[in-house]
Amino acid sequence: MFPELNSILSSSPENFTEGEFILLSDRQADASFLIHHYLTFYLRARCRVCFLGLVQSFSHYSVVSQRLGVNLTQAKEKGQLVFLEALKASPGVLLGDESSDKTAALDYLRSPCPELRGLYEFVWNSLSRAGGEDAAESWGPPVLIIDDLSVLLSLGVSAGAILDFTHYCQATICSQLQGSMIALVRCDDEEYDEDEESSNYLLKALSHQCSLSLRVEGLSTGYCRDIHGQVEIWWRGRGMKNQRKIFQYKVHDKGASFFAPGTSRAVL
Amino acid sequence: MLTEVLQGSDSGGIVIIRDTSSYSGRDLLKYCINCALKREEDVHVLGFEVPEQELRSELDSNNKHLFHFHNAYSDPLGWRKQSSFTVEQFSAENITRLVRETKHAKASVLVIDSLSWIERHHNPVAICQQLHKLKKGGAIRTICCLLHMDLHQQGIVESICHLANTVITVTAVNNALYAEAKTTHRKKSGKVMQEEEFFTVMENLSLSIEKRPSQSGHAQVHSDAKVDPASNLTFNLRLSEVEREAKEKVALPFVFSQEKKSALLKKGQGSGRIIYEPDANDDFDEEDPDDDLDI
Repeated sequence: MFPELNSILSSSPENFTEGEFILLSDRQADASFLIHHYLTFYLRARCRVCFLGLVQSFSHYSVVSQRLGVNLTQAKEKGQLVFLEALKASPGVLLGDESSDKTAALDYLRSPCPELRGLYEFVWNSLSRAGGEDAAESWGPPVLIIDDLSVLLSLGVSAGAILDFTHYCQATICSQLQGSMIALVRCDDEEYDEDEESSNYLLKALSHQCSLSLRVEGLSTGYCRDIHGQVEIWWRGRGMKNQRKIFQYKVHDKGASFFAPGTSRAVL
Repeated sequence: MLTEVLQGSDSGGIVIIRDTSSYSGRDLLKYCINCALKREEDVHVLGFEVPEQELRSELDSNNKHLFHFHNAYSDPLGWRKQSSFTVEQFSAENITRLVRETKHAKASVLVIDSLSWIERHHNPVAICQQLHKLKKGGAIRTICCLLHMDLHQQGIVESICHLANTVITVTAVNNALYAEAKTTHRKKSGKVMQEEEFFTVMENLSLSIEKRPSQSGHAQVHSDAKVDPASNLTFNLRLSEVEREAKEKVALPFVFSQEKKSALLKKGQGSGRIIYEPDANDDFDEEDPDDDLDI
């Protein structure tokens, strides 16, 4: 997790808002560093985490989390982390192997199944179990992290089905279980037309539902070695005044630093 | 006009609040619910987008028993087999039945949060038909809906809003605490009234309206007396009488006056003559091309 981002968002593993739906998005940049931040943040906060890894393998996150000081393999063994490795399980589902229990979760690969109900059932089963099975450990509120939702659009799931899925996740995890949900949506600049099946539409629809939105964009002036882009943080929460702030960031080997626009160390 | 329309107990009909992701119209919807409760009307909410406690908070506590929340948030599609109201049940008959089941107050108000959610699962034409049936049905006097404009094509938004007596479009104003509401109200007589106002919904669900916020400083500058630019200078920009007369006498270089015209038309003496020997290939027309000019 990134300490600077924690202070900007006024949260820490000991003290964070519950019931949040955090929407991460990027356009011409890569917001996956924020996924690593939240994964390590919530694991440090001793929450039960269900991670839907739809685009990368477990070892990828494991390696990065190691650098940020969290051991994913250990968390998985202790039962704190439930990891859906979609990439590994997908060929099996597509080729029709009946074996694993994860096949229901990946039902969306089998057309013409338009719903993400199977995926939702998987999430619900992973997070609804109280920590009582592992007697000694009682974990904090449940957390769902999805990396990422736009790939589902590419796989043929309709935007409406994705929105139904996120609605159910929010209703159960955020409202009922008082946990948090983090989802990443990746947008393309070319899809600016009002297509109802584009990531832009998905982003707009999810913005209505989220309580905090972090939008990552590349700098409009182009690539810069010292400033990798800018993040717009938008507090949308109920009862909270609409507040937006922009920060520029740079991703390092072991973290990321955030600073007000124009105050990068390379510039000052 | 915003307050009158939302507090209005006059005609009923359909009120649509349109918003975008930059400013949520839900606060205004809550204000609308609160006004209906104060008028002691039954309020039935089809809640798809937010849970009950969010809508219930801060409502007028005297008439909370008149507030009926039909939970379509926890399980709108029946995935968890615990649904109270599913999106499939959205029809005039079902809603009328729900409304009639509860004890009658003076009148009933139906609040839909939101139409955008329903539109994902129902044909817009069907939605319009059901809304129309509800309006004509008689069990419900006012229908107040929230619609997210930026999630639909413009044609769909316009068709749904066409049914409404009142359409309130809320947009954010840059970095301000207040928001802008454009209200279009169609009276029974057919007259259409439009107004733009700036408003905020306070913590206790009261509405604070400003006609137009004072733009800081701009309005005041114009009302000041015109500043004379030639004063307070170290050099003299003013003209004396003599100088002014001389200035007005100067003939401007490109103005085509009578003297210039006659000077140009006089044949100059000693000006060069042009002798032209046409070639065999030349197309030499003896006619004067300027013959038709009238000088």
